[in-house]
Amino acid sequence: MPVSTIDFPALAEHRPYLMKVARLQLRDEHLAEDCVSDVLTQAYEKRASFRGDSSLRTWLTTILKNRIVDLLRKQWREQPLEQPNDDGGDDPIDRLFDTSGHYAQMPSEVSDPAELCQQDGFLAAVQRCVDMLPKRVGQVFVLREVFGTDTKDICKDLSLTTSNVWVQLYRARMLLRTCLERGGFGHAQPR
Amino acid sequence: MRSLARHPMIRISCQQASRLLSQQQDEPLALVKRLRLRLHLMYCDACTNVSRQFVALRLALQRFRDRD
Repeated sequence: MPVSTIDFPALAEHRPYLMKVARLQLRDEHLAEDCVSDVLTQAYEKRASFRGDSSLRTWLTTILKNRIVDLLRKQWREQPLEQPNDDGGDDPIDRLFDTSGHYAQMPSEVSDPAELCQQDGFLAAVQRCVDMLPKRVGQVFVLREVFGTDTKDICKDLSLTTSNVWVQLYRARMLLRTCLERGGFGHAQPR
Repeated sequence: MRSLARHPMIRISCQQASRLLSQQQDEPLALVKRLRLRLHLMYCDACTNVSRQFVALRLALQRFRDRD
């Protein structure tokens, strides 16, 4: 799209997409709305710097990501850190394994992950489960999986160590798979 | 190969394997870790399933983003 045709309506067409992503990342409707409005305003002001070698959506996604990182930094500064589960016995993830480190329950088989993701019901379940993750774990996970941010950049953006990011992502994935197992991980649940 | 995979010097638990499966989604594993994980997956159906679940999660989030 040539720069001259980037007017506000052209940008606003992407609002539903930006809102969807911002909601999943921020879990707060008002905050998400403010954030997306900021992004659209900023994009309009900076429209001359859009080079057109990426799609408009990709460009907007980058602006959204930067805005979200700012918001998360601020939130994380203001709120005390969630205490990691270092009391041993009470970690829901450790409880998935028996004392020898084997899965206590057999994880469900997924014969065709790509096909499974075409099912709207499965996608809705994933979304619900992401919303149920502990806040920071969810935020790191969405930054990684929806924005495709490198772990190195997440470390830089949020002042985390590499091992901390790995732990958060591991926790996110394990909690998500446990959450999805309640619905048989995509297999129709016998009623 | 299978008995090598279960050798105490090489064998890893499902818990360790799952951590590596997650880490592998974020960056390439060092050779030794990759090898141990691959050997573990040769005999462990549970972790093979988890591996595919992780792939499904990644694809699901991509589809969430890309569909209208």
